Amino acid sequence: MEPIVIAKNLTKSFTKGLRALDNVSLTVNQGKVLVVMGPSGSGKSTLIRTFNGLETFDKGELNVLGIKVDSTHDERKIQKIRRRVGMVFQQFNLFPHLSILENITLAPVQVQKRRQIEAEEYGMYLLSQMGVDSHAKKYPSQLSGGEQQRVAIARALALKPELLLFDEPTSALDPERIKEVLDAMRRLAEQGMTMIVVTHEIGFAKDVSDQVLFMDSGKVIETSPPNIFFSNAKNERSRKFLNQLDNHYSES
Amino acid sequence: MFKININSIIFIFKNLKKTFFSNLFNTIITLLIILFISAACFNTFAWLMFKANWKVVLSNLPLYAFGSFPPNEQWRPATWIITLLILSIFTLCGPEWKWLRKNLLKAWVGTIPLGIYLLYGGFGLSPIMSRHWGGLTLTILLTVCSSLLSLPFGILLALCRQSSLPLIQKLSSIYIDVMRAIPLIAVLFFGQLLIPLFLPLGIEIDRVWRAVFAFTLFVSAYIAEDIRGGLQSIPNTQVEAANSLGLNQYQVIQFILIPQALRIALPALTNQSIGLFQNTSLMAILGLVELLGVGRSILANPEFIGQYIEVYVWLACVYWIVCTIMAVLARHLEQRMTINKANF
Repeated sequence: MEPIVIAKNLTKSFTKGLRALDNVSLTVNQGKVLVVMGPSGSGKSTLIRTFNGLETFDKGELNVLGIKVDSTHDERKIQKIRRRVGMVFQQFNLFPHLSILENITLAPVQVQKRRQIEAEEYGMYLLSQMGVDSHAKKYPSQLSGGEQQRVAIARALALKPELLLFDEPTSALDPERIKEVLDAMRRLAEQGMTMIVVTHEIGFAKDVSDQVLFMDSGKVIETSPPNIFFSNAKNERSRKFLNQLDNHYSES
Repeated sequence: MFKININSIIFIFKNLKKTFFSNLFNTIITLLIILFISAACFNTFAWLMFKANWKVVLSNLPLYAFGSFPPNEQWRPATWIITLLILSIFTLCGPEWKWLRKNLLKAWVGTIPLGIYLLYGGFGLSPIMSRHWGGLTLTILLTVCSSLLSLPFGILLALCRQSSLPLIQKLSSIYIDVMRAIPLIAVLFFGQLLIPLFLPLGIEIDRVWRAVFAFTLFVSAYIAEDIRGGLQSIPNTQVEAANSLGLNQYQVIQFILIPQALRIALPALTNQSIGLFQNTSLMAILGLVELLGVGRSILANPEFIGQYIEVYVWLACVYWIVCTIMAVLARHLEQRMTINKANF
């Protein structure tokens, strides 16, 4: 099993001595799905954004797809990583001035120098995989949140990435739209895509993930397989967090 | 349908009565104002129809349009202006064919080399010096060339002002602030009088192009500020999304930032170009015979002496018509862009 991401002792502090990341180490192997959970402000977004260089870190080592990055944040290496790693954001971040299809073909044509026609064909294929191919000519603002997020997933897939990062992909969606996005992600996992997902969706984590990583105030508290984490978490802090999530869901 | 119309007319009359004739005092005021307005309208109409001598306009129409361009070559600027008009009409109410819409922008940009070629001559047309250019032709040429040149320069300034390199950022801020603190007429004087002194011996730039240069210097500072506003309103998440797709800094600027900033700044940019069109009249003071300059030189002709009002009313109408066409075109462009509405 080939490791896709190896992080060793990643540490990042903000100016007030606050630690966003505190000695975080983890490994994600090919074809595996890692779910990152934790209360807000625990550093989970910061962690996943370091994997494609959107955030820097002060200490530690990071190896993504065999490309080693350290705290000097070498721009050329980061570019190499970004061409092979896709990312999906909480707020979709589609480009509002481009049509759905143009959103998807921009990077393949400009970054990978593929032919326009070829990129469009593959883009349409991805859109039909996500069930939004009928919207190809529309603009992002004409789509619902769930549709926009599925387009964003297709856009991330257009570069044929070897790793997909999801930063709270369903947090900005209406409850009835969450399922369509989670279903798309499930299908990707079944196809063997390596994924790191920051989410609060317990159902998704239980069914799809291979490992659950629980963070609090920048530290990794616990890493367990989902069946152990959700039924019998080792750590007191994780149990407390899961209890609160349970209460929240039984109320709603 | 008809019934509703009658009802609404009755409603309007009732409202009129209530607002304007509710008591004696209001009635008197209303009647006085109506009397005043109708007297003014009557006098204006009488002047326009009977007192005004429109010979000063009618017999000089080619002068207003083309200045002192040689009469047997006047078809050249005429062709250019008619091309512009046809293109405007096509843009506004032409068919919705996709290839046509895609090529319209190229056609618009193409009118500039066409205009310069038709005016200068050469390549089969007899060459004509720029001092013979004039009238509306020259006004339009100054506007079109200056706004087209100041757009890329303005974008560049705006990007430099956002730059992370302190030197570049400072330099462009200083440039923008200085240009915005100087009156346009001073920049134009600089262009006409000082540039020839600075240039090395033997090199000479035409008066028209010195004016275009000065306008570009001035307007690009304002355009830079409009575009900077557009750039600042683009959320940083757009840049992050583009970066995560592997686009480098220049690709992000080219494909993500500039197209969005231009869309946001479009209404302000329209204002700039309409303002520029009107400001070209300042060149009349500096000796270019553009539209206003032609008017002044006609008034200097002993035959037409003293007929200021006719000439200036006519010039105002011409400026008004051209500005209206520009505004309508810009509104059309804005509407087309909101069809592909951005989601911010």
